[in-house]
Amino acid sequence: MTAKLVKTEAVVEGRTEVRWTLVEEDDTPEFEDGDATRPIGEPTPRITARARTTGSARFTVDIALPGLLEAAVLRSPHANARVTSLDLDAARAVPGVRCVLGPGEGPEHDDSPLSDTPAFAGAAIAAVAADSADAADAAIAALAPEYEVLGFVSTLDEAFEKQDFLVDPTEHERGDPDAALAAAEVTVEATYTAPAQLHNSLEPHAAVADWREDGLTLWSSTQAIYDARAAVAEAFGLDPERVRIICEFMGGGFGSKFGVGPQGILAAELSRRTQRPVRLVNSRREENVAAGFRTPAKMEYTIGASKDGRLQAVEASAVMGMGTGGWAFPVLEPVKSVYACPNLRLMVAPVRQNLGPSVAFRAPGVMEGTFGFEQALDELAEKIGIDPLELRRLNHSESDPEDGKPYTSKRLLECYDRAAELAGWEDRDALRGEGRIRRGMGAAGQYWWGGGGPPAYAEVRVGKAARPAVTVGLQDLGTGTMTACAVIASERLGIPVDSITVYAGDTSRMGHGPFSGGSMTLASIAPAVRSAAHHVRTEILGLASEMFEIAASDLTLEDGEVRSVDGTLREPIAEVTGKLGNAWISGSGSRGPNPAGMNVNTFGCQIAQVAVDTGTGAVTVERVVAVHDIGRVVNPMGARSQVMGGILQGLGFALMEERVVDPTTGTVVNAGLEDYKVPTIADLPEVICEFVGEPDPHLKLGLKGLGEPPVIPTPGAIGNALAHALGVRLREAPYTPRRVLEALGA
Amino acid sequence: MQVRLTINGQPHELDVAPHRSLADVLRTDLAMTGTKVACGEGTCGTCTVLLDGRAVLSCLTLASACDGAELATVEGSTPLLERLRAAFTAHDGFQCGFCTPGQLMSAVALLERTPQPSRAEIRTAMAGNLCRCGAYEGIEQAVAAAAEAG
Repeated sequence: MTAKLVKTEAVVEGRTEVRWTLVEEDDTPEFEDGDATRPIGEPTPRITARARTTGSARFTVDIALPGLLEAAVLRSPHANARVTSLDLDAARAVPGVRCVLGPGEGPEHDDSPLSDTPAFAGAAIAAVAADSADAADAAIAALAPEYEVLGFVSTLDEAFEKQDFLVDPTEHERGDPDAALAAAEVTVEATYTAPAQLHNSLEPHAAVADWREDGLTLWSSTQAIYDARAAVAEAFGLDPERVRIICEFMGGGFGSKFGVGPQGILAAELSRRTQRPVRLVNSRREENVAAGFRTPAKMEYTIGASKDGRLQAVEASAVMGMGTGGWAFPVLEPVKSVYACPNLRLMVAPVRQNLGPSVAFRAPGVMEGTFGFEQALDELAEKIGIDPLELRRLNHSESDPEDGKPYTSKRLLECYDRAAELAGWEDRDALRGEGRIRRGMGAAGQYWWGGGGPPAYAEVRVGKAARPAVTVGLQDLGTGTMTACAVIASERLGIPVDSITVYAGDTSRMGHGPFSGGSMTLASIAPAVRSAAHHVRTEILGLASEMFEIAASDLTLEDGEVRSVDGTLREPIAEVTGKLGNAWISGSGSRGPNPAGMNVNTFGCQIAQVAVDTGTGAVTVERVVAVHDIGRVVNPMGARSQVMGGILQGLGFALMEERVVDPTTGTVVNAGLEDYKVPTIADLPEVICEFVGEPDPHLKLGLKGLGEPPVIPTPGAIGNALAHALGVRLREAPYTPRRVLEALGA
Repeated sequence: MQVRLTINGQPHELDVAPHRSLADVLRTDLAMTGTKVACGEGTCGTCTVLLDGRAVLSCLTLASACDGAELATVEGSTPLLERLRAAFTAHDGFQCGFCTPGQLMSAVALLERTPQPSRAEIRTAMAGNLCRCGAYEGIEQAVAAAAEAG
């Protein structure tokens, strides 16, 4: 197979990355209208179901090697401090302790994750490895740290006042916003506040390191095995080929587990020093003080429009609370990129606080920015007196309003129409009621990326038993990527999904694959898998042609059989592959670039219906209608589950989830799941979910992503529904009973 | 301390320190890692196992207090558990699967006590088992389907 280097651009959660990538020649035929695609597009249960329901699935926290040491970390109880005393020798003297790392100790080529000037409550100061978890805990206690407690900043307002920016503030202008705002017939000003949402993946961040003479093996609960490999190799000055990252099963990540993390670096360093395998697993409370959060944000919007509802100008600013890390998540992207608006001014100020580092959380920036802007738009619709969906239709943009480029596909108008129809939008005012229980309905749109792109490589092998193995250089954080890969291969091979094995989560098995994030994973890998499976199909058909003396072009593979198109031949594929003996047929495939000059985005609309008990302030989300434009759907069962998950995480953000920081100490007071509320089965709304349309005509296989889209419009739609129910708007999430009662003046 | 346990029908004799949790002993001493720990403080339901037929949080249960008990974990195989496995699979009652062992054991406890639960009873019985991927719809449907198939 000939391969060539190509230059591609990919948009990763709003940041454009230019990559050079090796792409193999690809003769895999695209689907034509009317082609059978099955099982693509049919509901398929997860191929990992048996492992996940019998307890045999091995997650990183389950890895136990002979001689395993357990590690623990000393964390600062203070929001800002200097360690004045630390008894490392006492910790080393604890029976069973094999290694103690103090502040500043760590890999040769990277900053130590351990510091004697902890800048947030939860910052790591020292780490130990011991024969048992009990001994490790005893060593942590023996460290007996003493601190000089320093001043700290925890609130957004204080941090902004200090002008202490973690990332440089940015300003972006389009047109002449001042003149347009001054001339606007209608203006709306509104400030929305979004909470810090905590990921709470049920599997904590975890690593098991096994450092040996011939290289490092690191089991890591990571969304990016190759990024993890690169980070560890660089930190320790190792050849990446001598670092093997394994992530067999993963208990969620939601954006918080890119790379290898401090737990991977510490486990590797402890293993290097002890020459023993070392396991480091965060506790739930460590997760919630040190492993990241969705950035809280205060977003101010001034919207100017004509009296018939056309947007003339928007001025928006956002103060984002970054804590001690993270990047400037695109919180004002929904203002910039969703609607036709000729004049804009956008200002973003990412401030530093004495809190843990922020990290990406499912649609980082865009979800909280959509929560604010889609509600500010409803305020405009109300002021003008038009239907909120009509306002959105009026300001629809056929091409990207920022750079003018066409989209590969955009079916947002269909999403509005279909969602309105499914929700009974026209009759929504009849819902409201007069008594103690009020109901309301609200809508919000969504915009995200998710086109995927190279590099992504796959290999398909078939041996004599005709049970193919698909190998991909990625990890499945629970979304169902591995099942989708089996579905894609099955279509080309004509072999049922349950006869296919997918190998993933191991850098030693396969070339580079995508990280799990940005709604890009499946759109990146699927064309590579299909291409690899197509090469194998071609070879099987060639063999069958010789065996049965029928032209390969008159043969097809279906339901595990080789069939002639005239119906005279039906033989099991294993009859053909059986001739291979101990050899096998293999095919490889790689992902080519997306078309140049076009933007790839997903779109959608969700409508929420809520009931509010005006006596208690309790809000119940009764129903959510979700209609998204994501191109071709590979597995409708998995797709619906993604939508359910996004809706529930968005519902949590809207109604109950909020990290609470004690302003007098700067510490997180609800780091446990007793106080930090996440949705339970009792909060489950009825969900009606549809996907509009057609495969994207410009993309390989017509696929766009779905990981992020369903979470994005959920809180904004719930907020709009709440305002519709109560006739009063709440501008600070989560909408807890206390805030609802306050808004009602109770 | 000497502790005798019957786990999924198999007898075990263990020597455990009195402060150790059942979850830790299962995972560490017996290498039965199907039981997961997500919070370690009794707030998420992930570590749920059956102790003499009752659903308990194994992270808050002392192994030393279980002498003579019958324990059921996700590694077991009973007709009801198999039915639930099939139903969780058919209704996509999980994504990452980390909470699944606990979900399954809570569901077993419910259906042994209440073979034909209402949807409200399912929600009440399963409300202590968090699923951050948000597979609750599939979980509810799976429990209802497993009840029906029984």
